[in-house]
Amino acid sequence: MPILQIRQAIRDAMKEEMERDERVFLMGEEVGYYNGAYKCSEGLLDHFGEKRVIDTPITETGFAGIGIGAAMCGLRPIIEFMTFNFSAVAFDQILNNAAKLRHMTHGQFGVPIVFRGPNAAAHMLGSTHSQAFEHFYAHIPGLKVIAVATPYDAKGLLKTAIRDENPVLFLESELMYSVKGEVPEEEYLIPFGQADIKRPGEHVTVITWGQGVPVALKAAELAAAEDVSCEVIDLRSIRPMDEAAIIASVKKTNRAVIVYHGWPNGGVGGDIIARIQELAFDDLDAPVLRVCYEDLPMPYAENLENLILPSPERALAAIRRVTYKR
Amino acid sequence: MATVVTLPRLSDTMEEGVIAKWRIKVGDKVKRGQVIADIETDKATMEFESFDAGTVLKLVAPEGEALPVGAPIAVFGQPGENPDAAGAPAPKAEDKPAKAEAEPAKAEPAKAEPAPAKAASKPEAKPAQPEAKAEAAAAQTAAAASAAPDGDDDEDEEPGPKATSQGTGPQGQVDRGRIPASPVARRLAREHDLELGQIQGSGPRGRVVKADVEQAIAKGPQARPAAAATGAAGPVPTASQAAGAHAADVDEHGRPYISRPDRTVKLSQMRKTIAKRMGQAKREIPHIYLTMPIVMDKAVALRAEFNLSVDGTKASLNDLVILAAARALRKHPRVNAYYTDNGIVERGDVHVGVAVALDDGLIVPPVRFADQKTLKQVSIDVRDLGTRAKEKTLKPEELTGSTFTVSNLGMFGIEEFCAIVNPGEAAILAVGAVQDEAVVEDGQLVARKRMRVTLCSDHRVFDGAESAKYLQTLRKLLESPLSLLT
Amino acid sequence: MDAAYEAKLRADYDGQSREDVLRDYREMLRIRRFEEAAARAYTRGKISGFLHLYIGQEAIAIATQQVMEPGDRVVSTYRTHGFAIALGSDPKACAAELFGKAAGLVGGVGGSMHFFDKERGLWGGYAIVGNHIPVAAGHAFASQYTGDGRVTLCFMGDGAVGIGPVHEGMTMAGIMKLPIVFVVENNQYSMGTPLKRTLPVEDITARAAGYGFASDRFHVTSVQETRRRLGEAVERARKDGKPTLVELITYRFRGHSMSDPAKYRQKEEVDRWRLNDPLERTLMALKTIYQVPEAELDAMDETIVAEMDGAYEFADKAPAPAPEARFDNVMAEGPYYGDSATTRPAGVE
Repeated sequence: MPILQIRQAIRDAMKEEMERDERVFLMGEEVGYYNGAYKCSEGLLDHFGEKRVIDTPITETGFAGIGIGAAMCGLRPIIEFMTFNFSAVAFDQILNNAAKLRHMTHGQFGVPIVFRGPNAAAHMLGSTHSQAFEHFYAHIPGLKVIAVATPYDAKGLLKTAIRDENPVLFLESELMYSVKGEVPEEEYLIPFGQADIKRPGEHVTVITWGQGVPVALKAAELAAAEDVSCEVIDLRSIRPMDEAAIIASVKKTNRAVIVYHGWPNGGVGGDIIARIQELAFDDLDAPVLRVCYEDLPMPYAENLENLILPSPERALAAIRRVTYKR
Repeated sequence: MATVVTLPRLSDTMEEGVIAKWRIKVGDKVKRGQVIADIETDKATMEFESFDAGTVLKLVAPEGEALPVGAPIAVFGQPGENPDAAGAPAPKAEDKPAKAEAEPAKAEPAKAEPAPAKAASKPEAKPAQPEAKAEAAAAQTAAAASAAPDGDDDEDEEPGPKATSQGTGPQGQVDRGRIPASPVARRLAREHDLELGQIQGSGPRGRVVKADVEQAIAKGPQARPAAAATGAAGPVPTASQAAGAHAADVDEHGRPYISRPDRTVKLSQMRKTIAKRMGQAKREIPHIYLTMPIVMDKAVALRAEFNLSVDGTKASLNDLVILAAARALRKHPRVNAYYTDNGIVERGDVHVGVAVALDDGLIVPPVRFADQKTLKQVSIDVRDLGTRAKEKTLKPEELTGSTFTVSNLGMFGIEEFCAIVNPGEAAILAVGAVQDEAVVEDGQLVARKRMRVTLCSDHRVFDGAESAKYLQTLRKLLESPLSLLT
Repeated sequence: MDAAYEAKLRADYDGQSREDVLRDYREMLRIRRFEEAAARAYTRGKISGFLHLYIGQEAIAIATQQVMEPGDRVVSTYRTHGFAIALGSDPKACAAELFGKAAGLVGGVGGSMHFFDKERGLWGGYAIVGNHIPVAAGHAFASQYTGDGRVTLCFMGDGAVGIGPVHEGMTMAGIMKLPIVFVVENNQYSMGTPLKRTLPVEDITARAAGYGFASDRFHVTSVQETRRRLGEAVERARKDGKPTLVELITYRFRGHSMSDPAKYRQKEEVDRWRLNDPLERTLMALKTIYQVPEAELDAMDETIVAEMDGAYEFADKAPAPAPEARFDNVMAEGPYYGDSATTRPAGVE
């Protein structure tokens, strides 16, 4: 099986879907002649031409809105945000147009569109370029939110996203674009709403997604050295969420730790805890803990950034706490 | 036909309004869109443009008076028409603002209020005294039992919350009855009919966690509530009697000691084999044990010398013992034998089994033809067997075939011990530690390195005298060990 | 009527057939009567939320309808009833929407601000000021991408031109040379703030140069003039793929919304504008130039009032949406029962 980087898996997914469906096009800053700020669209301009690989000015509101308007006409846009931090500029388009139009037009229009790009902190980018946006978008009915951590998942889920009839926020990671993994040559799709057990275990359920996945896996490895076996669940799909997978695991382990990028207040982590206490209250043996950013803006200084980011060590400490080990 | 003009709702929050000024008078002809009044709303004074056309028959609303939205304010119609025929005084029901319809709903929270107040004053039991925790727990047990006579296992009836409601008095006293427990611990306790208060919590601040309840389940009925423990035979014990029956099981604070459950460990294949063979040996073989002290000073010196001068291996004292035992067997073939009902089989070859302890059991791979081997070769063989035994890479044929066994527990500081003869052999040599001892030699007290070995043997094959002779030979070989190098 | 006014009127209607002018009058009157009935229903508590009326601006919607070809799109604001009536949406469905009823244009979930009628070319209905400009550009982009030959007409108020999305959407439309006409309905007030306090220049179309657009700017005093000049812009979009920015100077005679007493303007100002009210001028033209008998005009009015009253009566009696209707159209997959257990209705799973 070929070994690809996540960026290549993303490119292949877009390429295959653009070949399959004339209505699919890619639009964003530097996606064409520059071949993508992070090279996710490398070679696509040469292959498909300017009509379907469209460089835009720095106008997130403008091209997000154009994508939405085009989707309402039946096209299937892929809108690349150079980083999801810039999606804040287009937030109104996503919140009030993409998410609402099917509803407020009583189904006269749909918005089959994918917004994709890197999300969350990378390395020393400072407070405005280090934010996790799933927490904002997962709040909004009408949207789907996906976060990927392997090339296999990236390709299978992006293809599903492009074919979905709803607006999909597809979150990648700048730090993980080079992560390699096996990707089958034959076509495959991964349905939304299905979590993936990245590591089976017995004692603690570790729920994670996106950039949290490698942190959680490393923490599970550290815990294994202490004879604590962790089940690492990669949600992959944050909205819709695979509640069944979470609850089945928690019923088995009686304990959960959530490892993710983003702040603690009002985020997806708290939402997962709400679901666990609602659906598995009688199965809990310890409080459910979150390992995420400290509730602070991200500083540039490396040592300060490292203190704020979720680390395997912090995740291990949480795993010890829920297993009542000091 | 006459038309009733009603007070318009001019903002979404307007509930009443005032005609600040009429711009028309009775008899005026009004066009649609004409301003007929200035109306004060909650937000502003606004011009009211008429939705209707006609002649003003009557101005119902006086200026300056607050009226509800929808109240009739004027009547238009044809000149000469009777304004009262339009029913002006009563506003039409359908013209009532939607706001009013929502009002009845507001009354509901008020209705619900008395209930919590009632519940708060209900608790019958007094708050538990802090200095008598055991009693309090017992009281809860009794209270919980009596509170749920119908066996209702509704969640609200579980001991924890029940204790809470009893512990919190109407004056909002500190909750002393709440037993900290994880939800799954509560559920398990409920499912197994266990009293949470009787389970010692091992979590933070004494929280009862799943493991604690599982232990209690394994331990059996002690932690069950008093009511559940009631037997048909005797009188119903009171809660305090039930607690007193196990008075010794509580500490000076009245808290029960932590009881841990027995643990059943599945039998490994090796454990099964050991169990079968040792059981067989002890049932069938009449054991006889003879212990012999051996002075090891020369052997120790020889070993040190050997290790200095010979490359390729490092010999242990045990290697010397194995070699000596093997050489001694040549001289005493009856010890290298086994019993059958048809006769005693003296073995032609000497293969000395070396007991190797593993995580859960032991195996006895033989050093084959040990009597014919050099110390170096024995040493190499023993190391190789030991390493591969721990790696579990020995082949089946390397694990069988011993004719005699050496078992050494000297490294644990064991002076001497009795071992069990391996079925199929006649004896096993149990080797103790080499220790510095005060020994009387020729009337002199001297320090010697001494070791005790015990030959454990099958009395059916040979008797004590033969055993002693073998041990003498062995001692000679070890106390004058140079011959071992030949 | 003074002589100057009449002379101007005769000049404006030179060459217009009686039938056309009668038609324009009837269509404008339908919008005005619909809006007046909406205002009345609001005062009676039948309509809640925000209600922004189109009274005074009717000629724009009528002219727009007349320059559109099948498949062309109108994208508009929260002041959009006029376009719905002009484009042929059923007044019953429009009124039912205002009443929040199931028979409404969008099932009662949109209300006054979110009229959509795709079949008739009404593509919204947007209420976050200016955020529909990029979306409309997206429709035009789709036309360019598929080559379907359609034109998108994107309307906004004068209050919108300062907000960011307008700039971004227009920038992209200019770069991509999209078949679109941006129309600013300058009704003089951004809610209660006059234009001179919200715009650094008086002429909004001064911005067209910055986007590489053509531009046009005029007072809306008649349907035929608006039709002619909007038509040129539509033609430019369709044939040359060049966007136009059109500023239509107009006036709303009502407040910004129903709760606005419009204290920020003088009665004299309103009266002055009333002289230029296209509806009023058309009526004068019909009476003076075309000599249409008053009885015929009254009869037309009564018919329209009856139609609109009937529509509101229908809306009043129409059933509210079924409780389960709230799950409709949230996701493409069909009924949406929430992603969280906390919003999942009992009995659904």
